[in-house]
Amino acid sequence: MHRPRRARRARECPALRTGIAILTGTIAAAVFPATAAADATDDYPIPHRMIVTTCTAEQILAAARDFTPIYYERYVIDKHNKPPQVQQAAIDNAHYFYSLSPADRRAYSEQMVTNFADPMTASWPNWAKIFFNNKGVAAKETDNCANYPPDDQSVWDG
Amino acid sequence: MRFGKHSVLASITAATVALAAPAHADVDTDFANQLHGYGIYGQRDFNAWLAKITCERLGNGLDTSAEKSAEFLSHNLPRGTGTAQTWQFLSAAIDTYCPEQMPMLTSVAEPNR
Repeated sequence: MHRPRRARRARECPALRTGIAILTGTIAAAVFPATAAADATDDYPIPHRMIVTTCTAEQILAAARDFTPIYYERYVIDKHNKPPQVQQAAIDNAHYFYSLSPADRRAYSEQMVTNFADPMTASWPNWAKIFFNNKGVAAKETDNCANYPPDDQSVWDG
Repeated sequence: MRFGKHSVLASITAATVALAAPAHADVDTDFANQLHGYGIYGQRDFNAWLAKITCERLGNGLDTSAEKSAEFLSHNLPRGTGTAQTWQFLSAAIDTYCPEQMPMLTSVAEPNR
């Protein structure tokens, strides 16, 4: 009668029980990591591909125009509904972001999730939607952006 | 008889409205129905907007030929859409939303003219 004896042994040994509990907890922590994390991750709030891409904002918009045209059209319409200085601020912000190194972009994304008082976000919450909001869109943009001229400003106006 | 003439006119107008309306309930719906005939499905609004963007690109010179339009569409129609279907989409789009671009399409069909 092996089974009852082994069960009795576990019951009689608190150290073993504690060990099993700790091990179970460790496995659970490894399987479900960081589900409740409140800080930035590799893909949030800025998709990883946008952190590492070498394209300019204009190249990304050109790729969006050709490969996610409806998303692009919505963005351009949204942009044209903003005051000119807000539109210009969005362009400047995008230029600034893509001038940064990947490490600095990562730092920028950390700041982005915590700084709710950012005046750009306040005046146009979706100013970076075409760049950051959707991983599928970011994938299509970064897959194709290298084939476009780096400083064609017309892409900002559809 | 002025009254008689008016009533005839009125009934003709009423008939025109009544008969014509069902066929042109909504341009986008007609377009979607045409696409269904080619085996192209998907969201009606998506397809209509894609067609309008195709027209816009031909109009502003971003796409300088029907081949360029077809290439643009091939990136944006669902995976599995065939070349023939892509051109059928383009033809239906031009026909529905920018008939003034029809020469672009016919120049492909008759390259030597």
